[in-house]
Amino acid sequence: MISLLSHVINGALVGLLFALISMGFVIIYRSARVFNFAQGEVVVVGAFILWSFTRYFGLPMWLSIVLTFAFSAALGLVIEKIILRPLVGEELFALVMVTIGLLVFLRGAILVIWSADVHFIPPVFARPGLKVGPLVLDKALVVGGGITLLLAAFFSWFFNRTRMGMEMTAVAEDHQIALSLGLKVKRSIALAWAISGILCAFAAITFVSGKGMTFMVSDIGLAALPVALLAGLESIGGLILAGLIVGTSMGFAEHFLDPPLRGGVGAVFPFFIMIIVLLIRPTGLFGWKTIERI
Amino acid sequence: MTLPAGVYAQTYDEDQSLIRTRPQWICFVALMIFIFALPLFAGGKVIGMMNMVWITLIAVVGLQINVGYAGQVNLGQSAFMGVGAYAAGALTFHFGAPIWLTIPAAGISAALFGAIFGLAAVRVKGFYLALTTIAAQYVFAFTMLKLPKAWFGQIEGLRLNPVSLFGFEFNTDVRMYYLIAVIAVLMVSGAWGMVRSRTGRALVAVRDNDNAADIIGINVFYYKALSFFIGAFYAGIAGALWGYYIRYILSDMFTLWLSVWYLGMLIVGGMGSVLGAIIGTVVIRFLQEFITYFGPWITGFKILSGVGGEIIFASMNMLLGGVIILFVIFEPRGLVHRWNIIKESYRIWPFPH
Repeated sequence: MISLLSHVINGALVGLLFALISMGFVIIYRSARVFNFAQGEVVVVGAFILWSFTRYFGLPMWLSIVLTFAFSAALGLVIEKIILRPLVGEELFALVMVTIGLLVFLRGAILVIWSADVHFIPPVFARPGLKVGPLVLDKALVVGGGITLLLAAFFSWFFNRTRMGMEMTAVAEDHQIALSLGLKVKRSIALAWAISGILCAFAAITFVSGKGMTFMVSDIGLAALPVALLAGLESIGGLILAGLIVGTSMGFAEHFLDPPLRGGVGAVFPFFIMIIVLLIRPTGLFGWKTIERI
Repeated sequence: MTLPAGVYAQTYDEDQSLIRTRPQWICFVALMIFIFALPLFAGGKVIGMMNMVWITLIAVVGLQINVGYAGQVNLGQSAFMGVGAYAAGALTFHFGAPIWLTIPAAGISAALFGAIFGLAAVRVKGFYLALTTIAAQYVFAFTMLKLPKAWFGQIEGLRLNPVSLFGFEFNTDVRMYYLIAVIAVLMVSGAWGMVRSRTGRALVAVRDNDNAADIIGINVFYYKALSFFIGAFYAGIAGALWGYYIRYILSDMFTLWLSVWYLGMLIVGGMGSVLGAIIGTVVIRFLQEFITYFGPWITGFKILSGVGGEIIFASMNMLLGGVIILFVIFEPRGLVHRWNIIKESYRIWPFPH
C-alpha cells in the first residue's frame, strides 16, 4: 500500500515536472505554430549552464540561477532569430525537420562543450529528502511541482487577461490576420521563445538539482510530449490536469506492471498514453478545434 | 522536364520508358557493370562500406516514398527496420527458414507494423504524426526487450549463422555484397517505376493537399496507410539484410537517431525524388566515413579541452544537425535540385536557361 502510494505521489510530481517542460512547448506552439522537439536539449543546456556557473566559475547559487535564466532566455531568442525566422510560412515538414535538426545539433554541441561525463549539479534546495509520514519525497520535485502550479496560474492569467498575452493568443490563431490588425507578430514569437527558454531553465533547476547528470537527461523532453498532447497543445491550465493524469497513471503502471515485466514500464508508459490520445482525440482535452479549408 | 533536342516518343511504350536514348543505355549498362564488378578491384574495407550504403539506401528509398512522395512525416523508419530484422532473424534462428522466404517475410511483417501506425496518419497529421511515429520507436524497443527470451533474446539479441541460398553460403563480405546489391538494385528500380504509376501519382496528390485529393476521388485513407506499408516494407527488407550481414540483431541498433539520420539523408538529397534519396544516402555516408576517419586525428591535437573519445559521436551529431538545419533553410529542395539545374543547362546548351 505504501509502495503504491509512493509510486502514485512521485508519479504525480514527475507528471508536474513534465507539465512544466510541456509549458515551454505549448507557449511556443501557441504563438509560433512550431513544435519544438529540441525542448529537452534546451533543458539540458540550462542545467549545464548552472553547473558551469556554480562549479566551474564558482559563483554563488543565487547569481548562477539568475544567469542561467538569462542565458536560457537568450538561447531561446537566438534559436528563434537564426533558425525559425527564415522559415516563417514554410510548410510543416520543414518546421518539424528543423527542430529535429536543432535537437541533434544541440546534443552534439553539448557533448563537445561539456563532454559525456557525469556532472554533479549542486543542490539548489537545502535538504534532498522530504519525509511526509511514511513517504519519502524528492524535495526538488515537490518545490518544482509548486513552481509549476504557480507558473501555470500566472501564464493562464497572462494569456487570458493581459493585453500582451491576448495579442500572443491572437497571433497564435492566425499570423496573417494578426499582422493585418497591427499586432507585432515577430515580437510575440520572439517573446514566446524567450519565455520557453526560461521555463526550460526552471525545469532544469528543479529536476537536476542535487543530482549527477549527463546529456541523456534530454530524453525527458520527449517523455514530456504526451502531457502536452493530452492537454491539447494550446491550453496551459490543462497541462496541470494532463500532467497529473499522466503522472499518476504512470505511478499505477509502475506499481502493478513493473514486477511482471521486470521494470522499465515508467519510461515507456507515457508513449502508450500518447498513442491512445492520438487515436481517440488528437486535439487533446482542451485543444482548439481547427477547421481545414482547401 | 526537357529532353535533349531530337529525342521524342513515337509510341506510348517509348513515352513511358525510363531509359530512352543510346547514351542513357550506355550509362546504365556501365553503372551495372561497375556495381557488380566492384568486388573484383575494391578492397575489403570498401566492400564493407558499400554493403552498408546499399542497406541504408533501401531504407532511405522506402522513407522517400513515405515522406517525400506521400508527405507523411515518419520518425520510426528504424523501428520498422528493426521489426524486419527480428522477423527474418527469428525465422532463420528458430526454423532455419531459407532466405528467399525470410527476406520477403521480413518486409511484410515490417509493412504490417508500419501500416498500423499509418492508420493513425488518417486521423492526425504533421506534428501529431511525427509524435505517433516517435511512439512507434519506443513501443518497438520496449516490446523487443520484454518478450520472452526464447523468442528474440531480449538484451542479448539474436546471433545468426551465415545464411545460404540453394547451397551457396553468404559467409564473406563479398558474397553478401552480391546478395545485398541485387536486392537493392531491384528495390530501387521498383521505387522508380512505382512513383510514376497511378499509385505514385495518388501519393503525390495526397501530399499536396489531402482534402483536395479526397474530393477528386482518391481514397486518402487507403493511400496514407499504403505509403506507410510500402515505406516500412523497404525498411523491413533493409533490416533483414542488415541482420544477415552483421549476423547479430539487437533492438539497440534501431534507435530514433538512425531514423533522424535517414531523414537527414532525404533532406540533403532532396524530397520527392528517388534520385534524391540516392544522392543523399551516398553524400551523408561519405561524410560519416570522413568524420570516422578524421575524428581521431582531430582529437590528437587536443584543440578542445575535455573532449575524449566521444568526439566522433559529438561531431557526427553536430554535422547531422547542422546539415539538416542549413538544407531546410537554404536549399529545401536538396542536392537533386542542383543536379537537375545542371542537367537542364547541359541539355539546352549553348542557350542560357
